[in-house]
Amino acid sequence: MAQGMNSQQPVFRLEGVSKSYGSVTALRDITLSVNGNEYISVLGPSGSGKSVLLRVIAGFDVPDSGRVVLEGRDITDVPAHERGIGFVFQNFALFPHLTVFENVAFGLRNGKVPVAAPDVEQRVKDMISLVGLAGMEGRGVHQISGGQKQRVALARTLVMAPRLVLLDEPLGALDANLRHRMRNELRAIREKLGVTFMHVTGSETEALAMGDRVVVLDHGRIAQFARPDQVYGQPASPSVAHFLNRYNIFEGELSGKRFTGPFGMIDAASVTPADKPACAIRYDRMKVEEEGTPGEGPAISASFVASEYLGSSVMYFFEAADGRVIEVEHHLSLGQPQSFEPKRRYRLRWKPEDAIVFGRG
Amino acid sequence: MSGTAVRQAPQQKSRSSAPWLIAPGVLWMLVFLVTPILLIVYVSFWTQTTFKIEPTLTLQSWQAFFGSDTYLNSLWTTVRIWLIVLASTFIIGYPTALFVGLFVKNKTLSTVLLVICVIPFWTSFLIRVLAWRPMLGKEGAINILLQKFGIISQPIEALLFTELSVIIGMTQIYVVFMVGPIAFMLGRIDPNIIEAARDLGAGFGRIFWKIIFPLSLPGVVVGAIFVSVMVLGEFATAAALSGRKVNLLGNIIVTQVGSLKWALASVVGVILTIVMGLVIAGFLRIVDLKREL
Repeated sequence: MAQGMNSQQPVFRLEGVSKSYGSVTALRDITLSVNGNEYISVLGPSGSGKSVLLRVIAGFDVPDSGRVVLEGRDITDVPAHERGIGFVFQNFALFPHLTVFENVAFGLRNGKVPVAAPDVEQRVKDMISLVGLAGMEGRGVHQISGGQKQRVALARTLVMAPRLVLLDEPLGALDANLRHRMRNELRAIREKLGVTFMHVTGSETEALAMGDRVVVLDHGRIAQFARPDQVYGQPASPSVAHFLNRYNIFEGELSGKRFTGPFGMIDAASVTPADKPACAIRYDRMKVEEEGTPGEGPAISASFVASEYLGSSVMYFFEAADGRVIEVEHHLSLGQPQSFEPKRRYRLRWKPEDAIVFGRG
Repeated sequence: MSGTAVRQAPQQKSRSSAPWLIAPGVLWMLVFLVTPILLIVYVSFWTQTTFKIEPTLTLQSWQAFFGSDTYLNSLWTTVRIWLIVLASTFIIGYPTALFVGLFVKNKTLSTVLLVICVIPFWTSFLIRVLAWRPMLGKEGAINILLQKFGIISQPIEALLFTELSVIIGMTQIYVVFMVGPIAFMLGRIDPNIIEAARDLGAGFGRIFWKIIFPLSLPGVVVGAIFVSVMVLGEFATAAALSGRKVNLLGNIIVTQVGSLKWALASVVGVILTIVMGLVIAGFLRIVDLKREL
C-alpha cells in the first residue's frame, strides 16, 4: 500500500482483446497498459463496449482472443475470484440481509483463503473507518443512504486488498449533488490505498474530472487513451470530440491542407488522422458578431435560437442555414453576457488555430 | 386565509369518509369469519344428547375429547402428518424452486415451468387423490414396474392404505404451494449480488447458505404457511388413501357432523383453529414478512 510505489510500472495489460456476442462485436483488438497507483476512467456512450471491457478484465466474461495480463501473469483463463481484481457494481449489489459490517467481512469470512476471526474484525473495522463509515457497522443496508451504500460497496471490495479495482458506473445510482461529492471521495480513498482504479462512465465530465488518464471507447475500439487535458484539448477523432459534448463538428471535404465545410474553405495548419474529414471547434472558442462586422478568419452565419444560463457561463444556441445547431459558450469571467434577438442572423467567428481538422492526412 | 380554508375542506371530507372505505371488508369479515368462529366456540359448550343438542352450557364435549385416547391420538397423528408433509414438500419443493426461480435465467421459460407445476390443478382434487390408488395398490403401477425389473419378488403392500400413502398423496398435491412462493423470492434476487459474492471468493455452497437461502426465507415461510393450513385441515386425502386407518382431526369433524354431533365437532374445530393459529404465529416469528415482501 506504499503510496507512489510502482507508479510507472504497468500493473495490468490487455493485449489484442476481442469479444463478440453472436454477430455483435463488443470489443475489437483492445490493447492497453495501466500503471500501478493510477486512476483510469473509461468513457464511452452506451453500446461502446465499456461494460464488456470491465467484465472481461474482471473475469465474468472470457475474451474470444487476446490476453489479459496482471502483474506479469497471464490471467486470461483464471476464474474471476482468483484474479485479485475487485469489482464494484453499478447498483452496489450489497447483500440486503446483512449489516454493514457483515457485508464488508463477507469476502474475508467466506473466501478461498480463510482469515482468522480477530484479523477479520480488525481489517473490516479499519476499512469501514477508511471509507468514513465508522460507527455504522451494525446498521442494516436498508438503513443507510445511497452514498453510504456506495462506500460499503467500495469497502467490501477494498478489504480484499485487490491489485486492481473495477468500478462499473459507480456514481450512476446517486443523485447529482452526491455524485459530485463522491467524486472527490473516490479519488481520496484511492490515493490513500495506492490501488489502481478503473472507472467506467458514460459521463464526459466525470471521466475528465476523475481520471489520471482517460480511455475513450468507440464501437468496441480505443479511440483515445490520454490525459484528460489532452483528450479535452486534442480529441483524437471526430467521435471523441462528439462524446466530449464540447465541440461543434462540421463535416466537409479535405484536399491537401485545405478543408471545405459549410463555412467555406479554411487552411488547416495540421491534420489529425481520422476516417472521415471533419472540423471541430470548441463551444467556448467561438465569438458572436453582428452580421456585416468586418473581421479576420473563418466564420459561419447562423440565426439565434435560445440561450441557457449555467452559472459560470452562458450557452447560446444558433441554427445554421442547413438546420444544424451550433452552440457557443460564453464564460462570464470574460465579461457580461451578450443579448441576441431570436431569429436574427449573426456571424460566428473563430481563430484558425482553434479549429481541429480531421481527415486522411 | 381563505386559500387554506379551501384547501383543508376536501381533506377533512376525505378523512371523515375514510372509515366507510373499509366498511365492506369489515362487514364481510364480521359476518363470515368472526361470527362463525364465535358460534363454533359457543356451540362447543352446548349439551349434546343422542338425538338433540341444547344451548345449556357444559364442559361435557371438551371432557369427552381430552378423555379419549382415540381423539388425542388423532390430534397427534394430525401434527405428525403435518410435520412430515411440511418437510417432504420443502425437500422436494426447494430444489425445484431453485431451478425454476434462479437457474433458469429466461423469464418466459421460468413462467412456463411454473405453469406446468400448476397443470395438475386442472383436474379435480378427488381425481388427483384417487389416481394414487392405481399407482400405489398391491397390483398398482409401482409394484408392477418394480416386479418387472426384478427389484422385488413380492408386491409391497405397505404402499397403499397406510400413513405412507396419505403422506405421498398430500406431498404431491401441496408441494406446488411450496414451490410458488420460494421461486418468486429466488427470482427477485439481483444476479449481481450472486456475482459479487463469487467475485469476493465464495464458493457455491457458501453463496447458497449465506446469501441465497436467507434471501429466500420469506418464500419458505409463506409456502410453509400455505401447506400447513391446508394439511392441518385435510380430511379427503386421508379418507381416500388410508382405508380409514389414518384419522386426522378433519376426519373426526366430518364424522361427527355426519352423525349430527355438533358439540364435539365444534370442540375439534376450536382445537384445530388454535393449532393453526399457533403454527402461523410461529412461522411469522421467523421473518418479518411485512418488511420482506
